Amino acid sequence: MKLIEALEVTRQAASAPSGKAVFLACGFTPLHLSTFLSAELLLRNPIRRPDVRSGLFGDLVGTLERFEPRGVDALVVMIEWSDIDPRLAGRSLGGWRVPQMHGIITSAHDSIARLRRAISKASAHVPTVVCTPSLPLPPMFTAPQTEASLSEAELRLAVAAFAEQLVREPGLRVVNSQWLDDASPLAGRYDVKSDLFSGFPFTLHHASVLGKTLASLVDPPARKKGLITDLDDTLWSGILGDDGIDGISWDLEHKTQMHGLYQQVLASLATSGVLIGVASKNDPATVKSAFQQRKLLVTENDIFPFEVHWSPKSDSVARILQAWNVASDSVVFIDDSPLEVAEVHAAFPDMECIVFPTGDYRGIWDLLLHLRQLFGKSVVTEEDALRAGSIRQSQSWRELEKASGDRADTFLKSAEARITFRCSKSAADQRAFELLNKTNQFNLNGKRFSESEWKRLFDDPKVFLLTASYEDKFGPLGKVAVIIGRIVERQVHVNSWVMSCRAFSRRIEFQCLQYLFDIFKAEEIVFDYEMTPRNTPVREFFATLLSGQPVSGSRLTLHDFSTRVPQLFHLVEEEVHV
Amino acid sequence: MSDRDLRLLRCFASVFPELAAEDLRTVTNESAGHWDSLSTVTLAALVQEEFNVEIEPDTVQQLTSFEAFRTYLQKVDSDRSGSR
Repeated sequence: MKLIEALEVTRQAASAPSGKAVFLACGFTPLHLSTFLSAELLLRNPIRRPDVRSGLFGDLVGTLERFEPRGVDALVVMIEWSDIDPRLAGRSLGGWRVPQMHGIITSAHDSIARLRRAISKASAHVPTVVCTPSLPLPPMFTAPQTEASLSEAELRLAVAAFAEQLVREPGLRVVNSQWLDDASPLAGRYDVKSDLFSGFPFTLHHASVLGKTLASLVDPPARKKGLITDLDDTLWSGILGDDGIDGISWDLEHKTQMHGLYQQVLASLATSGVLIGVASKNDPATVKSAFQQRKLLVTENDIFPFEVHWSPKSDSVARILQAWNVASDSVVFIDDSPLEVAEVHAAFPDMECIVFPTGDYRGIWDLLLHLRQLFGKSVVTEEDALRAGSIRQSQSWRELEKASGDRADTFLKSAEARITFRCSKSAADQRAFELLNKTNQFNLNGKRFSESEWKRLFDDPKVFLLTASYEDKFGPLGKVAVIIGRIVERQVHVNSWVMSCRAFSRRIEFQCLQYLFDIFKAEEIVFDYEMTPRNTPVREFFATLLSGQPVSGSRLTLHDFSTRVPQLFHLVEEEVHV
Repeated sequence: MSDRDLRLLRCFASVFPELAAEDLRTVTNESAGHWDSLSTVTLAALVQEEFNVEIEPDTVQQLTSFEAFRTYLQKVDSDRSGSR
């Protein structure tokens, strides 16, 4: 983006209502970085005008130590070498003599420690994005430019260790330096004249790349949830029906390693919670044998479902979407045939459909990078590893439940279900935050939380977070229900309540209420119910417990619950009490 | 109006969105209440990016009106033509 375009984007939004309050902490004059950041945030959310504020020039550490998170939705910390020690930049004439190097490194360690403390403190209250020094170091070292000096290596190590510590902090995102190197080559970043005369050290191109990168971490795009792949000449090289099980390959020996790398990425995505499905025009028995006889890097367990037959690919995709219960715009379809890709795209215009560039080494490499971007996830939770298995398990459950007919109690009893409740007052539960923000059907009122709202939620000592994890003889479903509520004397106010659709039909929702009545010794539960276009399951659930349709503030007494609750067969365990 | 003037006007309009198009051509750092040091730096950055020129810091201080920028760019063009 050019500066003039960024200014025009912000100008056009001048009359829009104010949106996210972003505090840009930097030691230099924020000038055009602030403009680019505002414009990029606006492109992500054109309805709301971001309010980008900044601190004092030349005092990043002090700005962070004085930072007041109240009223701030996101903190962006742009660190440069000058913030670590002024002598590491062009605006200072503090000296680069050899005997001074030790002092510079000592002072750098001190500054980094202060920065870390201040950033950790701030990030506990507000979502925080950090960029470690992006500019080249000045010509201060005695070794030739081509050779690394010990002092330089020590400085870089200190910053790398600092970044590693920051990445570990929950709710804190750090700009990936490899991404930045790719998007903005090092030699084109520093504008020495601008630094000396206006205090702004970046070239416009670098400021533009930084603005875009920082905005993408402040306001990340929705992550794709599932990937549907073809098999022949995509997951492996060769046509299974023609070449046979031993004729397909994905290795160096056959010069088909790129397919192996694709498999490796899919396997990695599967363990980070991405749903992987197969849509292939093939003989199902041969495909099954191929997966059983050949050691693919992505296994049968990583994939669900397999749609292998001769029907149109769009039919397969429709069935996979149904099994996953996800919208088509959160899924990517990959096939080596442009015709198949066009057919699926025509049926699902909002689905990202990609032609697998068979034989194009660079093309496949770029595709793998693109997939990482589309499915990227900061934190992988335990539930992510369970996702494919739990969907497969839900399907088995539905089939057995259907077969059991009206003997539901017998079936539920035989499931050997166990529910583990965890009650806490902490915003550290990433899975709970995710569930609240993505569940539509069993959702009490559709309320979503921003990261800053989530972090501040538990400032109120009366607020609690209750989660329920579920497991039965078919396998674990992981954390499936989340309740946020407040306790007021003998009354529990439920402000948010979501449950994964994979957990339906197991009476988990009844057990959640039973648990609330039990642990809080409550006489009544009050629900902040709101009807949404998609929360029919909640409405139907309440119809079994309340005398009429639910409304905002519907109440359920212990007496009414006790007389209407069906028999529950779960073994209940608990991890933490409030 | 020349293409160069139109592009310069677009730069000024980005920095002074409150000014009408006809006022931009006569704007000076004294006539526009919002023309501060930040406006000067932003205008200089915009003009450098738009016209692919390097404005020296001393020159920036003298570019205190639309007309001054216009004259400066005319001179740059003429210097470039002369050096060809």
